[in-house]
Amino acid sequence: MSTEPPDPTPTGLRPPQHRIERRAIGWWMLQALFFPGPVLIGAIVAYALWDSARPWLIVVLVGAALMVLVAVLVEPFWRYRVHRWETTDEAVYALTGWLVREWRVAPLSRVQTVDGIQGPVEQLLGLSTLRVTTASSRGAIEIGGLDKATADRVAEDLTRIAQITTGDAT
Amino acid sequence: MSADAEPAPSADPEERFFVPAPAPPLPEDVPDGWQRLSSRVIWVDLAIVVISLLPAGIALAIGLDSGGGGGLWPLIGIAVFGAFGAVADAVRWLFTRYRVSSTHVELKTGVLFRVHRSIQRDRIRSVDAEAKLRHRLAALRVLEIGAGQQTAARESALKLDALSVDDAYAIRHELLDPVAVAADDPAPSIAVDGDFAAADGVDSIGAADTAGPGADGKRPAGAAETASDSPRAPTDEGTATGDEQPIAVFWRFEPRWVVFHVLSVWAYVVVLGLGWGGVALLGTFGIDVVDIVSGLVNWDAIGPLGTAAIAFVAATIGGVLALAVAFVTEYWGYELARVRGQEGTLLRTRRGLFTRREVNRAEHRIRGMQLSEPLLWRWMGATDTTVVTTGLSLWAVDQPASILPRGPLRVHRRVAGEVLDPEHAPLSAALTPHPRAALRRRLWWATLVTLAVAAILGWLVVTDVVPAVALVALIVVWPLTLAGAVVAYRALGHAIVGPYLVTRSGLNRRATVALQRDAVSTIVLRESLFQRRLGLRSVGTMTAAGRGGYDTLDLMRDDALAFATQAAPGLLDPFLVRGGE
Repeated sequence: MSTEPPDPTPTGLRPPQHRIERRAIGWWMLQALFFPGPVLIGAIVAYALWDSARPWLIVVLVGAALMVLVAVLVEPFWRYRVHRWETTDEAVYALTGWLVREWRVAPLSRVQTVDGIQGPVEQLLGLSTLRVTTASSRGAIEIGGLDKATADRVAEDLTRIAQITTGDAT
Repeated sequence: MSADAEPAPSADPEERFFVPAPAPPLPEDVPDGWQRLSSRVIWVDLAIVVISLLPAGIALAIGLDSGGGGGLWPLIGIAVFGAFGAVADAVRWLFTRYRVSSTHVELKTGVLFRVHRSIQRDRIRSVDAEAKLRHRLAALRVLEIGAGQQTAARESALKLDALSVDDAYAIRHELLDPVAVAADDPAPSIAVDGDFAAADGVDSIGAADTAGPGADGKRPAGAAETASDSPRAPTDEGTATGDEQPIAVFWRFEPRWVVFHVLSVWAYVVVLGLGWGGVALLGTFGIDVVDIVSGLVNWDAIGPLGTAAIAFVAATIGGVLALAVAFVTEYWGYELARVRGQEGTLLRTRRGLFTRREVNRAEHRIRGMQLSEPLLWRWMGATDTTVVTTGLSLWAVDQPASILPRGPLRVHRRVAGEVLDPEHAPLSAALTPHPRAALRRRLWWATLVTLAVAAILGWLVVTDVVPAVALVALIVVWPLTLAGAVVAYRALGHAIVGPYLVTRSGLNRRATVALQRDAVSTIVLRESLFQRRLGLRSVGTMTAAGRGGYDTLDLMRDDALAFATQAAPGLLDPFLVRGGE
């Protein structure tokens, strides 16, 4: 084993340097309303109109209501506290998640594409998602909630650096 | 190889990044080299609108609408569908720009979802030109630029839909063969370029990249060696020439392994199918099988239980025999060998009694090996071995990644070791067991699952859907899930062996994977709330090969970090907090 980590042994992984934009909270809230929102409305309507189904519809109703509440009032703030990102000359590093946290590190020498993606809500809020893909189908790193200008600059930096680190990336 | 892909290795990189492509002879109508797709796309869209409106129009004109409008609806549907699709396509055209610079290919597209994708030219593995009928009529080509991503990603890296034939030709030539363009030596590509104009669906000069089972692309775009090695152009390196003498033979067909192939539920499925077919077939010749069988013995004397037992035994014997025949015809003459290919060695399997199947796997693409042991047959040591490699479809019916028929673990492990790396034999290494907390996590989950089942059952009992007796099922469910938890825990293990990382997990199929550490592209550390309380973390090692990534579940937090740092040497170093701090 020639490549043991150098001493002293690592005691931890420091979090990435940068936080994401505060506006991302709004982005997540709006997004959270898009899917469970209609389900909740549908459940309420069905509950009002359909007497015989009330015993089990109440379960769906309460479930949907809880989902919406958590997704709007808890998840975005929690995510905002967790999410962080960083790029160096060698790697992209991101920390995401809320109930399940994920630290992802990809070396720039394996990067294949760098995308800037803007969904409708993101366009509204001037946010952008940076997606860095590697040859692995499970190896992509997505950093959401960046300022559009920041995302563009970082994407440009990454493509420039990734091009200097040569290799065939698989 | 990178030098080949960068014809202008000079100057400040920032500057190079913005230099527009010198080679493709494209109209420079937009500053910065941003181009629109071919304007003929719009004409095609217009034509589609007209064509899709035609049926409804004609029907109206000749007065088909006698039945009060009902007959027109399908035609109106066609018109709306076609027109809507065409208009959407035109809008897409309006919002799409692409740029080919000396180092990158970039694409901006999308209205609601804006996507700006850039891909480095030296990462490009394949450029395919595709033409549907409408494209061919309009002399357009859809250019799909691939970066060797696994098919699991289900998307090519970048798609230009559509360009004029000339532009597509120029870009493809430029991207795949910058050296040949520069040196004016178009040896390998011209052979294919000839029939480019007559494109018949798909054509490609991404060398082996889209040609066959060897497809993927460990090969850099425009690799110079392609020119000298394979003058016949896109020869798939996966197809070795005829009767190559093997360098080494690892395993040959062993009839004894039949036992691993006959014990299966399939036996009964097969016997049912065959029985049904047989009875029907004989019936057409006037032979009533049911009559004959009922006349054989006095079934009434044997009684229903005895009859069932006899039927079961007969079905078992019949099914086992059928599966044994299937095993022999499928695997007869199996040979796993290493042979010489055009680019290094190939791992070749040949098998089959009536149809000979041969699969060749380029060894320079193999990144590891996986042994998997299905739970129900673990008592007899049944094992499947697959190579972890780029460019083979995991989901193909003939399972090209599998290199041995199902058989005893001992032999599989030995053969896999010999094929992969006899020196380190990573699959034979002793694995470090995982902490007790991992067992606790699994026991908790087993209990939670049981509780969920109990809750659902309880609710159903309360609402009188099922009788209260059903709650007895819980007595079976809990021990079963707990046993599953223990088995899953005992499957866990990991190790670092020379250039390999080895990890084992899985309840239903215990999979032991040895993966080259060099092949790890992304490291993922994962921690759920539950894991956090138990002090556990999981490590994901993502790679281009095989399933795209392999997880090492539930290590203590520090061990997870240590394993991750060793799994991808150097990658995590800038982000580590060292002991002193």
